[in-house]
Formats: sequence, C-alpha cells, structure tokens
Amino acid sequence: MLSKIYLAAGILLIVFYGVVAFTGKEFGDPQRQVVPEEARKSAGGYRSFHYWSGYRGGK
Amino acid sequence: MSPLQASCPACGATVTFKTGSSIVVVCEFCHSAVARGDRRLEDLGKVAEIVETGSPLQVGLRGVYNGVAFELTGRAQLGHEAGGLWDEWYAAFANGAWGWLAEAQGRFYFTFQQAVGGQHLFPPFEYLQVGQAVAAIPGSLTLTVAEKGEARALGAEGEIPYRLVPGEQHRYADLAGPRGEFGTLDYSQPQPLIFLGREVTLAEIGVAAARAPEREARRVQAHQLSCPNCGGPLALLAPDVTERVTCPNCGSLLDVNQGQLKFLKALQRPRVVPIIPLGKTGEFEGGRMTVIGFMQRSVTFDRVYYWEEYLLYNPQIGFRWLVRSDDHWSFVQSVSPGEVAVSGKRAVFRGKQFRLFQDTAARVEYVAGEFYWKVTEGETVRAADFIRAPEMLSMEISVGAPAQEPQAQPGATNRQRRKTAYVAPTGEVNWSLGTYVKRSDVEKAFGISGLPRPSNIAPNQPFLHKKIYKYWMLLLALTFVFGIVVMATGSRREVFRATYNDLKPRTGPEDSEVRFSEPFELKGGQNIKITAEANVDNSWLAVDGDIIDQATGLGQAFSVPVEYYYGSESGESWSEGSRSSDVHISALPAGTYTLAFEVHWEKWQQPAAVTIRVEQGVPRLIHLVLALLAVSIIPILIGIYHFNFEKRRWADSDHSPYGSS
Repeated sequence: MLSKIYLAAGILLIVFYGVVAFTGKEFGDPQRQVVPEEARKSAGGYRSFHYWSGYRGGK
Repeated sequence: MSPLQASCPACGATVTFKTGSSIVVVCEFCHSAVARGDRRLEDLGKVAEIVETGSPLQVGLRGVYNGVAFELTGRAQLGHEAGGLWDEWYAAFANGAWGWLAEAQGRFYFTFQQAVGGQHLFPPFEYLQVGQAVAAIPGSLTLTVAEKGEARALGAEGEIPYRLVPGEQHRYADLAGPRGEFGTLDYSQPQPLIFLGREVTLAEIGVAAARAPEREARRVQAHQLSCPNCGGPLALLAPDVTERVTCPNCGSLLDVNQGQLKFLKALQRPRVVPIIPLGKTGEFEGGRMTVIGFMQRSVTFDRVYYWEEYLLYNPQIGFRWLVRSDDHWSFVQSVSPGEVAVSGKRAVFRGKQFRLFQDTAARVEYVAGEFYWKVTEGETVRAADFIRAPEMLSMEISVGAPAQEPQAQPGATNRQRRKTAYVAPTGEVNWSLGTYVKRSDVEKAFGISGLPRPSNIAPNQPFLHKKIYKYWMLLLALTFVFGIVVMATGSRREVFRATYNDLKPRTGPEDSEVRFSEPFELKGGQNIKITAEANVDNSWLAVDGDIIDQATGLGQAFSVPVEYYYGSESGESWSEGSRSSDVHISALPAGTYTLAFEVHWEKWQQPAAVTIRVEQGVPRLIHLVLALLAVSIIPILIGIYHFNFEKRRWADSDHSPYGSS
C-alpha cells in the first residue's frame, strides 16, 4: 500500500517539476507591488519608494 | 504366454499366474504367498489381509506410462519400522517390463529396476547417511538419501514380480533427486538392487479417470471409536491415514492399528490449548482442510522457545501444516529432499537461495489429535531452518533405532573402525517449505477472529515495502530523463545587458546611485535571471531594485549582492565570493519592462561600475537535483526502517549477518 502511495506521490512530484519547469516558476520571490509613477520617473522618487535592506557585505 | 493355473500348495484352491514373469501369486482363499520355481510351487507362508488404506488404485487397473500400456497385477503392504504401512503396486507392462508403483500419503512414485554393472558398488547400508549423495547411475544421476529404514512385508494380493516372503524384513534407502527423481536402494540381497523413477500423478499414468468419481467422493469423515483407556467416545477424522491419536476425554496417547485403538500412555494435561480447535475446517489451496492434529514443539537456546503446529488434512490435497510461532503463521508443505541442495549456510531450492537461520534440536512437548506417523512426546529431531522471506525451508532429520550390530567396511583402518563403531542408524530427512501467512488470512480461512497480534519479526516475515525500491529506481530514472529533456529544450536567451561604469563616489554608505534601464521585452512563462558583475576587490557592491511592467506598473523586487574577498593566512591563500552574482525570479507576464535599481558599494568614496544582464528561459539544475532528492526521501527512510527490520528478524539467530545480538 505504502509503495503505491509512494509511486503516486512520485509521479505527482514529477508532474510538479514539469509545471515548475514549463511555467518558469521560481521559489522565494519577494512580493510584487505596483511601483508608483513618480518612483518610475525620478531617482529621488524611487529612492523614497524603494526599501533598501541595508546590505553591508558578507565579510 | 497363456495363464498358468495350479493348485495352492497350502489349501488346494486354484491359483493363476496370469503374467508370465510374475514370481509370486497370493492365494485368494488362504492368503498364502505361492511362489513358482523351476519345478514346483512353493508355499512361502501366509500374508495378512490387505488393510483398507483408501487407495484409489486396485489390482487389475490398466494405465499407460511413457506410451507403454500396463496393468496392476499385485500389491504388497509394507510395514514401516516406526509404524504405519505403505502400498506398493506392481505394474506388468506390455513390453514385458515390471514397474514398482509406491503409494504413500497420497503421493505416487513409479520406479523400475535398473541393471547396474558389476563394477558399480553402492555404499553398504551401514555406512549410508541420511542426506548423503549417492551416484544412482554413475556419471549421470546423483540422488540424495531421503530415508533409510527397514520394511516388513505384511499383506499382499495378486501377482508379484519378486519372491515376497511374508513377514520378512529388508532394509532399504529412499533416494530423491532435484527434478522429482525418485529411487530406492533395496538391500534385501547381497548386492543392492536399485529402482529408479520419479513421482507421478494418477493423470500422468492414465488411471485418474478410472477412480476419479470415487476419489472425488472421499471426504474426511469421522469414524467413531471408544478409548480403550477411559471408554470415552473418540472420533477419527482421517481414519485411513491416522497412526496416533490422543483421547480428548482422558488425554491418553493411543496407537491406531487397522482401525483398532491401543493405549500407549497417559499424556500430561495440556499446557497449551490449540487456538484453532481440532476438527475446525479452513479454506487453503482451493480446498477445505481439517485440523486433525496439534503439536507443541520447542527448541532450547538461552531459554526454551515454543511453537505450535496444526496438522491439516484433505484427502484430495493430502497433509499440510499451519505453524504458529510467536503469533506469526506459516503454511507448510513437504518438498522432496532431492530438490534441496545445501552448501554451508545456504540451501538452494528450485533456483532460490535460502540462508541458514538456525540449526538445533527440536522436541515434541505436547500432542493432541491425529497424526500420520507414530508421534510421541519427547520425540527429538535435528531441525534446521533456512529463510528467504516469505518462505522458510526447514529440514528435519529424525534418527531411528539402530539397524544392527556395528560393522566396519572391509579394509578399514583401526581408526576408521573406531570411528564407525556406532551402528549406522536408520532415519529420514524431511524438507518442508513454509510460506508466511498473514494473521488476517488465517482468521479468514477458518472464519474466526481475535488471533493475537505478533509483537516481533518472524524469520520468514516478508518486508512489505520492498516494492518501493523498484518504484524508487523507476522514479529516479523518469525524473532524470525528464530533467535532461527540460534542460535540453530550454530556450535560454539574453533580453537585456548594460554596463554602468559611471557610478560616482557617494556622500556616505547610505547614499545610493539610482538608475533606470532602457526598456526590454519579456516573454511570458519563462523564468528570469538577473546577473550583476562588478570588479569588486576585497569589497562588496549591491544592486537592489525592481523589474517593472511598463504597462501596469507592477514591479517585482530583486536584490543581487556581489562580493569578493581574498587574502592569505598562515601561508595559505583563500578567497570568498565572486565578482559575479545572480538571482532567479519567476516568470512575469509578457510585456515591456524596465529595471529601476539602487546601487550601494562598500568603497563609496570611490567610483564604481556594474554590468547588469537579464536572461529568460534559464534551465535550473537545482530544480532537477531537488526533484531527485524529493523522490528519494521516502525510500531512504524506508531503507533505514528495512535495515532495522532485518536486524530484528535475525536477532534470535546464531547465524545473523548483522553479528550477535
């Protein structure tokens, strides 16, 4: 019984892999949001819209 | 040749030798065995009347074997030294040959006397060992000694092709071969005679139809008797074949001889009650089998281990056993010793290899019901079990009474004489094949419920999830091939590339450079890879931004940090990171997009440069690796469980491949 469940799950997994591959899905994308007009036009507007993580390097 | 009629030398009645080459005819009136010699008939003595054994054969029955017609002209009933008897039928063939058709426990063996050259010497009976290989036909056929013992001519009828002397004993050894061959070494003469043939079915020898309706009509019927010890009623469920029975009223062990009961001894009160009652019928192998006997047996290691055996009987199927050990069940049937080859700790049966599990002495602790052999409490045999779940191949060697005074082979040295100072015992080797039966199947077969659940792993208990490994290999192959196809057919292409080498020094670490890219086209349904390349040198640069749909303004954020550090420590150089870094994001709707991004860099006091590249349809090896890992998680867990299962299976074995427990 477990073997059959595993086989079914394995086939579903391959199907899922196919869906991911053929739809261009990636994992861990940040959320999408509408970028306001002013943020798309000026550096200042974008700087105030965009949140910078404050990256400081890994070393 | 015309029949020879003569007067019986004992009673004067007419006896007829219908077959020209028969030696003895049994007088129908006085049961004298009358032999014909060169000049006169000789009275060899009286034989007992034939005991009804329920055989489907009868004198006068005609059949065909290997294309040659035969007729059964006579029959002898031979007594086994351990009790019981078997039928031996004599077949006169149309080509003048004689065949010996032995019948025991519902099985038939057709053999023919073989002419053996004077050079070939068979081992003397005294040196013959049960289980020993014997060259039955030198250079071409080797058989295994399955049984050796002494037989006594008891009853007879019809015409017989040899000089049968009533009551005379002779020694014999039964041989078995790997492909159903069967043979008998007859030690009744100074030079042993050998008979070779094989096990046959009645259909094969063309006599099944003759008595088929009668055989079909045979059923296990209770035969009512009274116990000679207590007078209580006692029903024999298999009166044709029962040799021993226990009285359900007083517990006496009784010997069954031609339907008569004889008190042997009082047995101990039962320490164990059969969980399946005697007389209960169950559906096995397509037939209803009746529980006619029950035994409790034991082996002793560090302590005494008990198990139970239920003897099942159906006249058409024969005998089978249902074995209960630690609440695990096995359905057992006997196999020919010649079909099993043992080599060290391995046994091979029908091409399958079994591993030795245990080899010890097994003792009968308690018996109840009926048995087809002269069973006694305390009876001990050497028992070895070889396993290959769900099957277990079991060997039992029983040792009979000494055959005769010790004899050494001619020419033996003194040392050999001392070594052979034991009389070669009579005995037999029995092999049986047990197949694991689920508790629920036993309950279903007998229409009962509530059998106890086992709490350990049986030696022949199958591991139920073995199929998962096959599926694992299948899924791995499928995933791998599918992954290769996905990657080979990927439409990887660059949709944007720009180098920004005019990033001016900033006013502080928080101050960033913001840029907007030229528009570029994206297709739908394809992932996106954004790569940043910067000539960082023991420093970092980070690109944080959005990829924005020009039509809707919908933006997907991304972050690509680039860092590269290197140096040397204790004389060893090292490096960390890379001057190129990337990020993958999911496919976006088809359309025109731009990048809006901020750039920060560690050495903000200095100018910087970065190249941004956007690609679509990028094959992802990591997804294939993750899929292969995901497919493997359950089989790996099952594998760990399987390993522990096997360790527990072998925990009680002295021959465990996992070492001593």
